[in-house]
Amino acid sequence: MPKDHGIGASPTRREDVRFLTGRGKYTDDIALHGQTYAVFARSQVANGVIKSIDTSEAEAMPGVLAVFTGEDFVDVGGNPAGWQINSRDGQPMKEPKRPVLAHGKVRHVGDAYAAVIAETEEQARDAAEAIVAEIDEEPAVVDMGKALADGAPLVHDEIGTNQCFDWGWIEDNRAATDEAIKNAPHVTTLELVNNRLVPNAMEPRASTADYDPGTGEYTLYTTSQNPHLTRLLISAFVLGIPENKLKVVAPDVGGGFGSKIYHYGEEALVLAAAKKIGRPVRWTASRSESFLTDAHGRDHVTKIELACEKDGTFIAFRTETMANVGAYLSNFSTATPTFLHGTLMAGNYAVPNVYVNVKAVFTNTAPVDAYRGAGRPEATYSLERVIDMAARELGIDPLEIRRKNFVQPDQFPFTSAAGLEYDTGNYGALVDKLEEMIDRDGFEARRKASEKNGKLRGLGVNTYIEACGIAPSNLVGVLGSRVGLYDAATVRVNATGNIAVMVGAHSHGQGHETAFPQVVADMLGIDENSVEIVHGDTSKIPFGMGTYGSRSLAVCGSAVVRATEKVINKGKKIAAHMLEASEADIEFTDGQFSVAGTDKSVGFGEVALKAYIPHDFPLEDLEPGLEETAFYDPANFTYPAGAYACEVEVDPETGKVTVCSFAAADDFGNVINPMIVEGQVHGGLAQGIGQALIEGTVYDENGQLLSGTYMDYAMPRADDFPMFKVDHSCQTPCTHNPLGVKGCGEAGAIGSPPAIVNGVIDALQRGGIDVTHIDMPLSPGRVWQAINGAQ
Amino acid sequence: MGEITFLLNGEPVRVDGAPATRTLLDWLRETRGLTGTKEGCNEGDCGACTVMVTALEDGTPVHRAVNACILFLPQLHGKAVRTVEGIAGPDGTLHPVQQAMIDHHASQCGFCTPGFVVSMAVGHLNGRRDHDDVLAGNLCRCTGYAPIIRAAEAARDAPVPGWMRADGDAVATLAAGALETADAFVPDSLERLADWYAAHPDAVLVGGATDVGLWVTKALRALDRVAFVAGVPALRRIEETAAGLRIGAAVTLEELHEALAPRHPGLGELIRRYGSVQVRNAATIGGNIANGSPIGDGPPALIALGATLHLRHGTETRDMPLEDFFLDYGKQDRRPGELVEAVTIPVQPDRLKCYKLSKRFDQDISAVCGCFNVTVTDGRVTGARIAFGGMAATPKRATAVEDALRGQPWTATTIAAAGPAFDAAFAPIDDMRASAAYRLETARNMLTRYFLETTDGPATRVLEVPA
Repeated sequence: MPKDHGIGASPTRREDVRFLTGRGKYTDDIALHGQTYAVFARSQVANGVIKSIDTSEAEAMPGVLAVFTGEDFVDVGGNPAGWQINSRDGQPMKEPKRPVLAHGKVRHVGDAYAAVIAETEEQARDAAEAIVAEIDEEPAVVDMGKALADGAPLVHDEIGTNQCFDWGWIEDNRAATDEAIKNAPHVTTLELVNNRLVPNAMEPRASTADYDPGTGEYTLYTTSQNPHLTRLLISAFVLGIPENKLKVVAPDVGGGFGSKIYHYGEEALVLAAAKKIGRPVRWTASRSESFLTDAHGRDHVTKIELACEKDGTFIAFRTETMANVGAYLSNFSTATPTFLHGTLMAGNYAVPNVYVNVKAVFTNTAPVDAYRGAGRPEATYSLERVIDMAARELGIDPLEIRRKNFVQPDQFPFTSAAGLEYDTGNYGALVDKLEEMIDRDGFEARRKASEKNGKLRGLGVNTYIEACGIAPSNLVGVLGSRVGLYDAATVRVNATGNIAVMVGAHSHGQGHETAFPQVVADMLGIDENSVEIVHGDTSKIPFGMGTYGSRSLAVCGSAVVRATEKVINKGKKIAAHMLEASEADIEFTDGQFSVAGTDKSVGFGEVALKAYIPHDFPLEDLEPGLEETAFYDPANFTYPAGAYACEVEVDPETGKVTVCSFAAADDFGNVINPMIVEGQVHGGLAQGIGQALIEGTVYDENGQLLSGTYMDYAMPRADDFPMFKVDHSCQTPCTHNPLGVKGCGEAGAIGSPPAIVNGVIDALQRGGIDVTHIDMPLSPGRVWQAINGAQ
Repeated sequence: MGEITFLLNGEPVRVDGAPATRTLLDWLRETRGLTGTKEGCNEGDCGACTVMVTALEDGTPVHRAVNACILFLPQLHGKAVRTVEGIAGPDGTLHPVQQAMIDHHASQCGFCTPGFVVSMAVGHLNGRRDHDDVLAGNLCRCTGYAPIIRAAEAARDAPVPGWMRADGDAVATLAAGALETADAFVPDSLERLADWYAAHPDAVLVGGATDVGLWVTKALRALDRVAFVAGVPALRRIEETAAGLRIGAAVTLEELHEALAPRHPGLGELIRRYGSVQVRNAATIGGNIANGSPIGDGPPALIALGATLHLRHGTETRDMPLEDFFLDYGKQDRRPGELVEAVTIPVQPDRLKCYKLSKRFDQDISAVCGCFNVTVTDGRVTGARIAFGGMAATPKRATAVEDALRGQPWTATTIAAAGPAFDAAFAPIDDMRASAAYRLETARNMLTRYFLETTDGPATRVLEVPA
């Protein structure tokens, strides 16, 4: 019987009514009295020297209140990278300043070099067009290989190179890995591209700033996945506004997928402008600006080698990757290709040797940063593609070669050759479940049926592991993080027994407002509808590092548990006082505080009321009130894992790929709300299959973005997908967080691209066409060319 | 005279002094504070701004989903608009599609949700069950769509709530009449329009604004004087005449689809891919012809059907074969102040097939659009009309190819022999959608495909051939 409330139940989402009736409040929906409008002047060229900017005509235009250029921000800080990465030679990464507005040079198409504030958006736009910028275009670097070549044009002249860092992981393993590969009986080598993606949250970025000269306080409403982090970056690094004078509010946010983790220059600009003109300033990106300036995702070029025994036992993985960071370092852009990628390069496998080399490369393109999965999709894709290729070369079933190399259930906790300690898992059980889901025995009959219709059918499989719950401060600190990655929650019990929970996680599609109350209500034995979640406002919540890396429940949810435990403990003190018993004798079950071994008890509601009417409290020992805060910093990442399979049909005449079925078996540990988990997996699969089949970001050699509108960037639509089969019944609860949860937001995007590509290659091979690899997206054109190139 | 009059969520509104190109989306959000309708792209691609517009047509209320981001306020004169805020009942009762969206977890971040809700509610009201098509104009990045489709399916048999029909009754009570402001003219008769346009030849005529809308929202053009022609009864008519089916210039693509799909299923399929429901509900065939785009999909099909174009200047009219209208890139045989009044398609047996080559199935610009209409009598080609979009600076008839076919036996040999004629007929360009060589090659292949599909050869079974 499915549960009808609490942990493990699927209550419908309480967020939905406001979204479905148009009452959601997103940043651009907030209108402030007297607000003005900001419009940015953006570079039309990918690389250029700013000779001069003449704003006089713009300043004289009707309605114009202020014009800013990079010159106005020379003395303030830059937007920093959150992680310090050192190169193999011990040198720190090159970290050129990322200014609020470009100064001296523009470095990608869309790079903002000026901004106009005016009474209306139209006036601001007209004035922005009237700014005369003399920008000398210089040759651009777009291709990473060319960017690293001698004599390449430089994105940042002051660092003298386009290489941000040359990172080795684990450098001490390098010699052993090289040796193992040299001596291996079989080595499979694959060069591949992990295609650049535009996140395309449906809500464009937007920021509205307000400044109160009476108090000196700033308020920033912004599309952020983590308002506290935004506040910290603005306060500590960019504008120096004291944290206590800056309130950052991220109201309803229309999707993020990583692109709204980061602080962007527009946020700093509207804050500075609001102070200067003394009125609120609003900016909302057009879709074109979103395409040009939101941080993009992926964009790796990788060579991977897999060394193994003839029987398929893995001996070593070695990779060389170029990772595009675009024109500037974004906040996570140095962590994504390194510690969120290299550390996962042992996959689900007990392989003894792993060595990863990543060169991060500046190019004249939009900054690249974490996008749903962030580094882990890149690792999974490289691994699972080369494993598939090796299995084919060795004549071993693709699931069997994986099973043979899995870390076994009795080996946990297991330290992988890439340096992470996996706490728990059962990868064989996931593959068993997957096989149950896909009717593998029936594949041959389906393949024949496809063949009759002139189509080639293939079966693609893969497994994945990811590191989620991006947190442990001690671990990420060792790895170069400049911030701690815990989370926080306050549980405030009101006098009448209902509850507000202030959480550091931010919900922008994940359904926290529904799922978090299930946890609190379960622990307190109360109706979950009496629990309200408060998030997204730095003035209301204690602190928080926000939502990304599938961390909300694992990290912030754990903080909620800890704070709720504190509430229960405080309640026991109050109950002991009320029942005239010793605190040690008080038990709490199903919402009742009772004295062990007696029938004396008081309900949670009575205790709550008493907490606020403390007429007879012994005040030296017992404080009034019932509100507790907890910061939770876990001991380790969590390690969700899964096994995915799809069947595809390829039309050999046109190269068109159709996904016929897709099955995902995931281990997320314990599941709080199965409906929401299923929704998260669906969304991830859609983005992963989109990457594999249709999505591609194309710059021409001059750095012009060719895929900059919905006409030219292929967003997945309903008819691109089959109905997905998803299962999360294989559960090995996380051993180190109180809920035993692992995180589910990114899994689908991580696990699905290799399944699709493996499936297409399988279809071609079964059809007698010797194609061993095609780079994503597997558009009909690419598949057709591969087929025709092979014949 | 000068006030735009319409119903907003059941309440009459009068708007005075708004510029002709004020979009409904901006007006809703900025002036009315109705922020449920979202801006996701401002170019009619994402559907987050979908609203329902109800118009009285020959006494019958017609409900359409349209994109508010490229809909100018004067286009609403005399109509009713329902936004997401008006989809639930006046007492807050959820519409069946809203309840189904909750039950199926069909909303995540909620930003695209209002657009989906309106599209679904209009589909529900109109009894549509082809959810994929009804929702093809709405993008969602969170859900993967399956829960949304399930919700639409779950709600489809629920009764239509009374408030959803109220606009149909109420719109009849609006006495809107013609409208003329400083920069906008909404005529109520063809004669008035023709006279006005002859007197104001520099004005822009707007049908559904699916193209002109982008001049304003994306190209940031200021339009000094605009006439909105979509409400002119004479331009809205589809009528059988001795010469064929005469289609008024303001007939929407969706209506064209309904009228022509039964006669020419190939054209029906082309129109289905032409744009989303929202775009097809607004876009007019007259606009599609008059803008002269080399990549419009309507003209090649109509040329292949032998359509005649009817132009009007004041009271003076003239007709011409449609292909003669397109002179060069951006240049048509239309005098200042002359407007596209109608197009007539001769009645004929259906031999038409239309092949649209684009990067994705729905709502994409054609790299090549080939339309074929070949008559074979006793094994020989006795008539051939073939036209292409995307192969020249205008929609263009493949005269050389037709000549190579005419009189020849309808065989693979003839098809092969006609191949070189494409080089004579077309000199396409390289651009981001396709190279010239690819265009020529695929155009030739389309002829082969037409041959295979119209003979006993193997059916190609290819619904689409994406680039």
